[in-house]
Amino acid sequence: MATAPDTTSPLSEVQIEALVVMRIIKHATSTFPTPATGFLVGTDIAPQLQVTNSFPLPAAPIDQAQADSYHQPDAATLATAAPRAKSNVPYQNEMIKLLREVNVDAQSVGWYMSTNMGNFISQSFVENQFFYQKASDEKSVALVFDVSRSSAGSLGLKAYRLSPVFMNAYKEGKFTSESIQKSKLRYQDILIELPIKVHNSHLLTSFLHQVPQAPPAKTALDFPSSLAELSRDPDVSSNPFAPNLDSLDLSIDPFLEKSCDLMLDSIENHQTEQNNFQYWQRALGREQQKITAWQQKRKAENAARAASKQPPLDENEWQKLFKLPTEPSRLEALLVGRQVEQYARQVDGFSATVSAKMFGVKGNLLPGEIE
Amino acid sequence: MGSSSYLHLARPLAPAQISASTSTTAPCSVTIQPQALFSILDHASRRPADQERVIGTLLGTRSEDGTEVEIKNCYAVPHTETAEQVEVDMDYQKSMLQLHARAAPKEVLVGWYATSDELNTFSALIQNFYSQQGEGTWPHPAVHLTVSTIAGQDIAANTYISAPIGVTPERAADSCLFIPVPNEIKYGDAEKSGLELIAGARDREDRGQLLQTDIETLERSIEQVLEMLERVSNYVSNVLDEEAEPSSALGQFLMNTLALAPKVEPEQVERDFNNHIQDVLLVSYLANTIRTQIDLSNRLATAALTMGGEGKEGGEQKGGDRKREQRSGAGQRGQRAEQ
Repeated sequence: MATAPDTTSPLSEVQIEALVVMRIIKHATSTFPTPATGFLVGTDIAPQLQVTNSFPLPAAPIDQAQADSYHQPDAATLATAAPRAKSNVPYQNEMIKLLREVNVDAQSVGWYMSTNMGNFISQSFVENQFFYQKASDEKSVALVFDVSRSSAGSLGLKAYRLSPVFMNAYKEGKFTSESIQKSKLRYQDILIELPIKVHNSHLLTSFLHQVPQAPPAKTALDFPSSLAELSRDPDVSSNPFAPNLDSLDLSIDPFLEKSCDLMLDSIENHQTEQNNFQYWQRALGREQQKITAWQQKRKAENAARAASKQPPLDENEWQKLFKLPTEPSRLEALLVGRQVEQYARQVDGFSATVSAKMFGVKGNLLPGEIE
Repeated sequence: MGSSSYLHLARPLAPAQISASTSTTAPCSVTIQPQALFSILDHASRRPADQERVIGTLLGTRSEDGTEVEIKNCYAVPHTETAEQVEVDMDYQKSMLQLHARAAPKEVLVGWYATSDELNTFSALIQNFYSQQGEGTWPHPAVHLTVSTIAGQDIAANTYISAPIGVTPERAADSCLFIPVPNEIKYGDAEKSGLELIAGARDREDRGQLLQTDIETLERSIEQVLEMLERVSNYVSNVLDEEAEPSSALGQFLMNTLALAPKVEPEQVERDFNNHIQDVLLVSYLANTIRTQIDLSNRLATAALTMGGEGKEGGEQKGGDRKREQRSGAGQRGQRAEQ
């Protein structure tokens, strides 16, 4: 979240090596559109968390005990389940052991996953991060990399942690109206976003200074003798790292369409949750009516028994006879709320840049019409 | 990177036991993805203080005929090197290869790297290990990538394939002929944004860079474009004033570039502009309305217990609102589909 990081969080900033950025990008784009998940290693120098290396995790194998023929989990579910899958624990340990031998920091600092258009907030995400964050002195983050947004401009990499309030609630596993009221948990408070800083090693810095950078120095170039020579010239034709002008791209519709689709999905989820809740309320109401009716009957009976000098019957026996339906968990509703907020922010950011670009184009093509 | 002119030599004939195979003699062209290179540089900076060079395994994909190799990933392999002998941790290499194969089954062993541009007897030994039958890359040639990381000198990446050489099998085991092959560094669209950010930290003292928002990136891009335009227009006006040397090739290039500007009617621009800006603003408006609605819904739901019946009513009424919202969202999409 854009608000100041929670003071109770042990971390204030995440520093990522350039290597990790590239590894995540490569892994995410190679598995796109299936989400990719992986493991982060590094060190923590409070209050900064340094992520110095990463490795991908294989997708969680299908759990034979839980697998049934009707409910085949798809690749996406398996991939997002990977960071907390039991079968991956030996994999992680092995990998960390081997990495330690070549002087790589061997402390687990979290995990990463890739997403498409910010569509990442789910039970699975929360469960993963909880899995990493539940240890008492942990310092771990979830890095979320947005593939589609990164191809269209600036790098979509975010670091999240679960807030302490949410951790407590999740630990107890209670997401009833009452517990939420008591803990004052709002969906805005589920995740804490941490600022990310990208860091280069000295060697990398010197390497980056060597690769061609545009525009070339003002003086060095000779004039080409022909057009063909110009296109052959390595200084001109090579594609430099920077500047990246992709962010000037004017395509709007795919983004809007996708955003609307995702938003509608979220609304549908919300509707389902709402229906569940209403169903529960109706069921609760019916049960309560039955109980009141039973209590009145028992009272009348007791009055009759008192009249005939018999001992009264237990008036609290209804607790054994009737069972109140349990309230459905409101966790999903909270997550849907957070997800919608994510989309809305994303759309806001997008419309800000795109309207700027569009006014620019209009001003350029229709000079004199803009005062 | 490096020079682009290479002389391709046919590989010399191999000893009998290898030449009988269908081993390819075509020169390889090697593509290196930046993350593999970054990983090698990272490994070089983490090497033990007493070791001149470190080595590791390259993973990647190979085209069907084996002539093109793309290096996608790599990992470090511990080894010790003294004046007399070299030891490579084979178990480590094997178990790491297995672990990587589990996470990325498509990537196979393609060769090895060393962080020094020196090619010596030990290089030949290791090269023969990597290109051997069984665990090596055989029948394809193993690619050897050298990245020189000497302080104070340029970082140069070179790739080689090898041919066996030596009159007897004993001599052939520890010698081979390294043939340079051309290599280039390639990256995709998504990587571009990452590389731009990484390159942004290049000129900073702390070698760090905070992630930027979309609008900041846009601002910087526009500034860069403006600066480039400024330079070009400066040059052109200097030529016109006969202060700078004219170049017909550059002039032609500029003409071609200018000809790319689309010819559109002002009405069309106006119409497209209005349509699109409406779309954008409407979606933005809807998104925020939905967000408010969901927020309201969550608040009402948790407030329901204290407010009794009222909260429930509010919740239901809000459900109706949301349905309307949904319809207008769908209508908006339909409208765009028509365009």
